[in-house]
Amino acid sequence: MTAEATTPVAPAPVATSDGVAVRIISPRRLMWWKFRKHKLAVASAIFLILAYLATIFAGFVAPYDPASRSRNLYAPPQGINFVDETGQFHLQPFVYGWKMTRDLKTLSPVYVADTTQKFPLRLFVQGEPYKLFGLIDADRHLFGVDEGYFHLAGTDHFGRDLFTRLVYGAQISLSVGIISVFLSLVLGLLIGGISGLYGGWIDNFIQRLIEAIIAIPTIPLWLGLAAAVPRDWPPLYQYFAILVVLSLISWTSTARVARGRFLALREQDFVTAARVYGASQTRIIAKHLVPNLMSYVIVTLTLAIPGIIIGETALSFLGVGLKVPTVSWGVLLQESQKVQIIQFYPWLWIGPAACVVSVVLAFNFVGDGARDAADPFSR
Amino acid sequence: MQPPIATADPILAIRDLKKHYGGKKHWTGAVSKAIRAVDGVTFTIYEGETFGLVGESGCGKTTLGRCIARALDPTDGEIIYSPEDGRDIDLATLSPRQLKPYRQDVQMIFQDPISSLNPRMTLLDIIGEPMVVNGLARGKEVARRVGELLERVGLRAEYMVRYPHAFSGGQRQRIGIARALALNPRVIVCDEPVSALDVSVQAQILNLLQDLQAEKNLTYLFIAHDLGVVEYLCDRVAVMYVGQVVELAETSDLFARPLHPYTEALMSAVPPANPRAASQPRLLEGDLANAANLPPGCHFHPRCGYCVERCRTEEPELREFSPGRFVRCHRAEELRLDGVAELAEAGA
Repeated sequence: MTAEATTPVAPAPVATSDGVAVRIISPRRLMWWKFRKHKLAVASAIFLILAYLATIFAGFVAPYDPASRSRNLYAPPQGINFVDETGQFHLQPFVYGWKMTRDLKTLSPVYVADTTQKFPLRLFVQGEPYKLFGLIDADRHLFGVDEGYFHLAGTDHFGRDLFTRLVYGAQISLSVGIISVFLSLVLGLLIGGISGLYGGWIDNFIQRLIEAIIAIPTIPLWLGLAAAVPRDWPPLYQYFAILVVLSLISWTSTARVARGRFLALREQDFVTAARVYGASQTRIIAKHLVPNLMSYVIVTLTLAIPGIIIGETALSFLGVGLKVPTVSWGVLLQESQKVQIIQFYPWLWIGPAACVVSVVLAFNFVGDGARDAADPFSR
Repeated sequence: MQPPIATADPILAIRDLKKHYGGKKHWTGAVSKAIRAVDGVTFTIYEGETFGLVGESGCGKTTLGRCIARALDPTDGEIIYSPEDGRDIDLATLSPRQLKPYRQDVQMIFQDPISSLNPRMTLLDIIGEPMVVNGLARGKEVARRVGELLERVGLRAEYMVRYPHAFSGGQRQRIGIARALALNPRVIVCDEPVSALDVSVQAQILNLLQDLQAEKNLTYLFIAHDLGVVEYLCDRVAVMYVGQVVELAETSDLFARPLHPYTEALMSAVPPANPRAASQPRLLEGDLANAANLPPGCHFHPRCGYCVERCRTEEPELREFSPGRFVRCHRAEELRLDGVAELAEAGA
């Protein structure tokens, strides 16, 4: 254990009668200390927090509007340079403009860096107007160029900036995970709780139902349900329809965890003690069962989010999820399902794929760390 | 401590108490056989005494204790409780609402110092909740009384803001005792309160229990499998085997001369204090009988070294052998079983 793992963030020491200073350490704080030791999980958590912040301030983070087109079609990512063609070092990074030629055999555009065009990069530049949170008019962007163009992740066949579209796509792809997991938390706790507390035929029925749902292969079931969503619905309705479709399946694992924990906790002696001193059933559930159950449920949920993100991506990729003009990582992947894109314009699929992979991995690491930290009895 | 039986009043009278599990018809039509965890137990506990309940794992002693504290609902039988106002109340049949006033009088101490305290609550909440639930105290009064209780069980009052994970096994057991005392009970069911602790800590907890008993005139139902602890603490002892009492006597009589072969076997299994002494435990063969499929006749006969034909066919009743001594054995009169003294001699 390093020194910084034990010293900070503890509450002010309490002086006791014999003058010895003690700290009161709550189970929550113990969990946090334990989580902090899992460096990969902490790094992943920071990454995820930044990613979610970026989706909230998408208009600010993205340099362009997701629908605005530039004249550079299929332009590859522009590298950021500090050293110019003469070997001189610049403190302010810059990008070169593109010079487009055509391949005479395939007629596809070929871009070469034009060293005569230099666009210096700046922070908080004025650019295309957008609405922050859909409400506030703004035109400042986190980074960009005053003149010329800057495509950090390249452009697509309409010349739209891919980085911008990734940021806007994250709004859909990341929020699907959170909202759908919240839905399955409510469903899972409720149904799993009923199952674990009442037992008997109710428990039997719910467990068999869960087994039946799990037994159906996920992708075909999603496909079937998603295909039933009317195609002429506006994008927002489709988004919620996909959310519901995804949660309909993911609540099952939460329900199982909740049921198992309820069954295990019900037999713990502190619950028996509460019954013996006359605590009501509601009180036992609220004060003794649920607080001890939440950490486990949160862990399952963290581990369930990547599955849902992949689910949305898969559905959109297969063309039954969200559709153009909605931007999501799945939609972006679906748009790059062409041989020439895969072969000649790989940045169009590498970008969204890298986003999905890194977010899914990060969620798994956070879930791992949370699982290790969650057990209040193991110390 | 001399048994106060002659003068004391009964405080709890258990009459033919049964707790069966299963035995229900499944929807497929199959009928599962009932597991008779507690199968017709009868004894009386007198005010101010420590009543021991011993037996090997799985004999139903914990289930019996939990039925008496009404953590479980007994299947059949009576638990006659005599509150201070002199009436007799059958706790076994009361609904939760009717039971609530008497809950305060019968409390429990648990075996496992870890699972018996809610890890998400501070000691103030753990010990204070019984008072709040039963309307005995509120607000600052709760904290004051929790502080008193903590000090009474040998902990500091300042500890009340801490969580259970900050305490050792013995300290946690003290917290459990403080919680049981919070309601000023008259009877405490102690379910193996020291068997998870180190021997040195065991002695401290046992002494604390004894002091509290003298101070508050408590009655203990003390469940244990450690005969040394029972001999030290209990006034009277009941020996249980697969859900039934096979022998009941005053502690000194039981240890001097057991009447049931099972009691003798239990005593011989206690390791001698001198590790070099060659002990020859009269080990029992086979396992505890299956409570779902009991052998005919005496339930103990397949493991009994003194078994005769009658034991195989006829089930013995629990009968009064001499005043205050009960035994469930056909051959109690003819057998001359060894007490602890003889067993120690045989081993030396």
